[in-house]
Amino acid sequence: MNWNLFLTELVAGVSHGAVYALIALGYSMVYGILKLLNFAHGDVYMVGSFIGFGIITVFGGATNLSIPVWALLIVMLLCAMLGGGLLGVMIERFAYRRLRNAPRIAPLITALGVSFFLENAAQLVLGAQYQSYDSFGWKSPIALRHFTLPASTVISYAEVIIIAGTIVLVVALTLFVQRTQLGKAMRATSFDREAAAMMGIDVDNVIVATFFIGSALAGAAGVFNGIEYQQVWPYMGFTAGLYAFIAAVVGGIGNLPGAVLGGLTIGLAQAFSIGYISSTFSDAVVFAILIAVMIVRPSGLLGKAAVSKV
Amino acid sequence: MVRRFGLIAAAAAALLLAVVSAASARPSAQAAATASCSKGVSIGMQAPITGPAGSIGSDQLHWAEFYFTQWNKTHKLKIHLVQEDTQLDPSKASTTAQALASNGSVMGVIGPAGSDEVQAVAPIFKKAGLAFASGSATRVSLTGGAWKGYFFRDVPNDGVQGPTDANYMMSALGVKSGSKVMVVDDQESYSTGLADIVQQTLASKGVTVDRESVSQKSTDFSSLIAKVDASTKVVFLPFQVASEAQLFAQQLQAQGKTAVAFGSDGTFDSSKFTVNGSYISFFAPDVTTIPADAAVVKAFHKQFPGATSPFGAPNYVLAQMYATAITKACKDNKISRAEVRKDVLKVSLKSTILGGPMKLTANGDVAGAKFHIFKIENGKYVTIA
Amino acid sequence: MSTDPTDPSAPRVGVDEWVASHEQRRAYRAGVAGMVERRLERVPSPAFYLAFGIAAAVVPALTSNGYVIDVGLNTLLYMLLALGLNITVGYAGLLDLGYVAFYGFAAYGYAMLASPKFGLHWDTLAVIPLAVLATVILGFLVALPSRRLVGDYLAIVTLFFGELFATVYQNGEHMSFFGHFGAHDVTGGPNGIPNIDQFNVFGARIGALNYTAYYYVALIFFMVLLFAMYLVDRSRTGRAWKSLREDPLAAELMGMPVNRLKLIAFASGAGIAGLAGTIFAAANTAVFASEFDFTSGLLIIVYAMLILGGAGSLGGVILGALVVNVSLEVLRTPGHATWIFYVLIAATLVAKLRPWHALAIVLAGTAAFGFIVHAIVSSAWPRGVHGQAPVGGILGSGLSHWVILPSSPMTIGNVAFIFLVLAVLALTLLKGWWQKLAMIPTLYLAAFVWENRLAVEPSITRLILVGVILIVLMNARPQGLLGTSRVEIV
Repeated sequence: MNWNLFLTELVAGVSHGAVYALIALGYSMVYGILKLLNFAHGDVYMVGSFIGFGIITVFGGATNLSIPVWALLIVMLLCAMLGGGLLGVMIERFAYRRLRNAPRIAPLITALGVSFFLENAAQLVLGAQYQSYDSFGWKSPIALRHFTLPASTVISYAEVIIIAGTIVLVVALTLFVQRTQLGKAMRATSFDREAAAMMGIDVDNVIVATFFIGSALAGAAGVFNGIEYQQVWPYMGFTAGLYAFIAAVVGGIGNLPGAVLGGLTIGLAQAFSIGYISSTFSDAVVFAILIAVMIVRPSGLLGKAAVSKV
Repeated sequence: MVRRFGLIAAAAAALLLAVVSAASARPSAQAAATASCSKGVSIGMQAPITGPAGSIGSDQLHWAEFYFTQWNKTHKLKIHLVQEDTQLDPSKASTTAQALASNGSVMGVIGPAGSDEVQAVAPIFKKAGLAFASGSATRVSLTGGAWKGYFFRDVPNDGVQGPTDANYMMSALGVKSGSKVMVVDDQESYSTGLADIVQQTLASKGVTVDRESVSQKSTDFSSLIAKVDASTKVVFLPFQVASEAQLFAQQLQAQGKTAVAFGSDGTFDSSKFTVNGSYISFFAPDVTTIPADAAVVKAFHKQFPGATSPFGAPNYVLAQMYATAITKACKDNKISRAEVRKDVLKVSLKSTILGGPMKLTANGDVAGAKFHIFKIENGKYVTIA
Repeated sequence: MSTDPTDPSAPRVGVDEWVASHEQRRAYRAGVAGMVERRLERVPSPAFYLAFGIAAAVVPALTSNGYVIDVGLNTLLYMLLALGLNITVGYAGLLDLGYVAFYGFAAYGYAMLASPKFGLHWDTLAVIPLAVLATVILGFLVALPSRRLVGDYLAIVTLFFGELFATVYQNGEHMSFFGHFGAHDVTGGPNGIPNIDQFNVFGARIGALNYTAYYYVALIFFMVLLFAMYLVDRSRTGRAWKSLREDPLAAELMGMPVNRLKLIAFASGAGIAGLAGTIFAAANTAVFASEFDFTSGLLIIVYAMLILGGAGSLGGVILGALVVNVSLEVLRTPGHATWIFYVLIAATLVAKLRPWHALAIVLAGTAAFGFIVHAIVSSAWPRGVHGQAPVGGILGSGLSHWVILPSSPMTIGNVAFIFLVLAVLALTLLKGWWQKLAMIPTLYLAAFVWENRLAVEPSITRLILVGVILIVLMNARPQGLLGTSRVEIV
């Protein structure tokens, strides 16, 4: 067995899956509360990635950073999370709020409208060119330096940062949802919105908070993607959003640990099918696996089977 | 409900009326808009301005727009650019081609960008008698066939680039019968076409070719790079996005592989693909590094701030070609689509921003097409063959 | 959550459409307008369909412009697609996100059987039924394992199916069976299948590029299917589908064959998409897998048409396809787009601003505001008014005395665009006179952004506007233009 190939695919799959997982969490949270497939979520990720790129430019550009790399990373993450979060809140307030009791498909179309708007507005304002984080050129080139694992496999600093960052964010989110008042309100709202409202929970606030947190995670995912995979461009959100959506579903949509598991599953499935089956048909392989999973377990890996109440 | 119904019925009636009237009014308005050397002439532009290929298309559009903006500042003969967005979709290309064909003031078309799009629009433009010239469609079979005299391009085709690259790998990069080369396409027709030619050329000489492909949608190359083994000498990357080649080459080095990256013309961008020791083939030097072009590039960036890609500049030359042809047609007092088509073949530019003369062959290909090989040394592109 | 019943976000529990519109029905409008309205109400819908058919049949006679006919043909293909989707989504309520794959499957089917690809040149009368039948079977097969999936899970599985289809066809130039049986070129890969045969019935052949002929073919198929759907709509199956959509559980308890109904809805929707696909392949003479994947936006556009028109409404299918595709095309030309932009703003103001003197104040205020700003800028920063209006004519020359047109507008236009978006959003939060006052600078800003940035980039602007239109229309009328609003009854 070629351990180098196996471990490399494992590292690639986990770090890629971590990015999917962060985006998928936002999808899942929103779905859990509003039963809304927020197709504009991938574009929030795109905006987060561009915010990170803007921060690099502000601090002197890739090869001439005026602050230490760790400070830059923190500033990038904070700004992207804040910016992404605010964008998510705005989308909810102005596009979705009036549609809460509309037929289910109306907000879906609105979400597609928001996605169209964001992608093309980004192209208008920022240009269609691919921009690069160029983290290989940073003073301490985080994407090029690496730790060595067994079988002379390498794991770059960027991959370590992504995996560690994702773990921190997921743990923080779990603590928030489990321990805080607002987190409990979220779970209650997700369980039954009307009953929660009757119990005195301010559902509007809960929804705003959900959008903020979910979109902030997508913003962080945008920065993580930038430091490892470099490119940012206006249409990057579409594909990432699609995969993250798939990840959310595979894990069981509306279920937070499920979203993380789903993200990792997709990342690993992609990596291993490239490594062991065929790079050409890796997407096809992933889709075929997923269809099989969905048919066997329609509610996803960790989702609870939907029981219809009469 | 009742009021709504009435309202909507009225809206529907109005809309239908609008459609019918637009249908009948639009051609008459456009037929009236004929080209005239005193009032102005139009050139159509088909490019994937929006959508996933927007980075290519918007750059193509900007370079052509830039040329005509400069031209109109200094010439009495005004040339307008009519832009049509194809999103790299052949069926959208053929619909917008109809719009250009039925616009009487359009005397020639720049684009479309993709070879499939060229095949889709060719019958329409041929029927309308329009010249169309692409700055990026490189499939070999497009010129010299049924559309001779209608389709032109100012970039050499894959039949020149593929063998040049494969032969260079054999002669200078230590690839020989029995050694291994990985060829990675990005599942678009430009990329697969070129990859096929290189694969065939290498395979015919006994080289083992590991053919892989990555979707343009994914940016994860590390999984693929894990498959590059010690006997692989070269990884050939016919991509359309320079920063993807950059990422691939960097991850190749990061994983400690000895194979060198070899990019095609689509990856030629001295600001984005800069991994030392990599090779690139291109039909002209880089416009942003040619000293003679410094003023042009500066003026371009003044009008369109931000980055540019290697797909842009050839469209500037096409705009130049049309402007020259139209000037000649106007001087002969015979401005028409047929005349522009004939005059395009007579255009001979002594020196273009691509760093050499530009003249078309009778088939519509660029004369004297040659690919150069560059090596990246200290982030700079150095011509080595 | 607010319990104020006038708040649109509050659930109107226990209120159904008939009760909700009680006031409206009492307030019949008097006079001619009211009478016309009531008359129109009584006209049976087939009369409207017929009127549409006649109007559509006349269009090619009015123009010889290939572009108009081609847009008309595309619109009819969209209508066919929307009609099929209406069965699956509109009637049966099954969210099928892989719908476009059926369209592509049949287009490829036609291409493989009638092109030089495999040297087959079958008669159209054989190929179309075969391709449609194959698509129906495929629809059946996709629906078969999906029938026990509910709601969004069905949407997701079908989405996977659609992507699977596109990926396989996009890479089908070296097909092998797990590395065995060689590498066969089945789909042409990214190069698609070119040189597809024209329609050819008993030796009579439609000429190449004869879009008019395909226009009529599509129109006839559409009209026939439209009337068929009208009958189905009122049939036993049609009513059963609708009850399935409203409440699958109740439908099952009433003894309806829920699974069979789902399968039929899925397969017949797929069949109509397949029919449209064969026409598309022949008219376009080439097919490419990239045209049928999720990123091509085709699925989104067809959904937008269906939902905008009103899911479950046949008239909505026509109206939605017309509105979406015609506006997509009209917006291509910067001149048209500029007029539409200003007329839409003016119409919205006229319709929404009451009383009339508020309207007058806002309009006069905007005009005055513009001249003042223009005067200040031209004296303080002369380069700020040196640019040219992108669209000539009366509108352009008139505006150049009112709107600031800097000589290099890109950066300032981009910043202004972001401010405009924020200003418009803020405007929706304001109330009363504050809102009207805030409108004045916002309107001016809108004109500034349009002239300096949006009109310069018509291709991007077009898609931005489509996004805005989708958001605004869905918020204003979630049930679509011709749909009936459904109210939750507890």
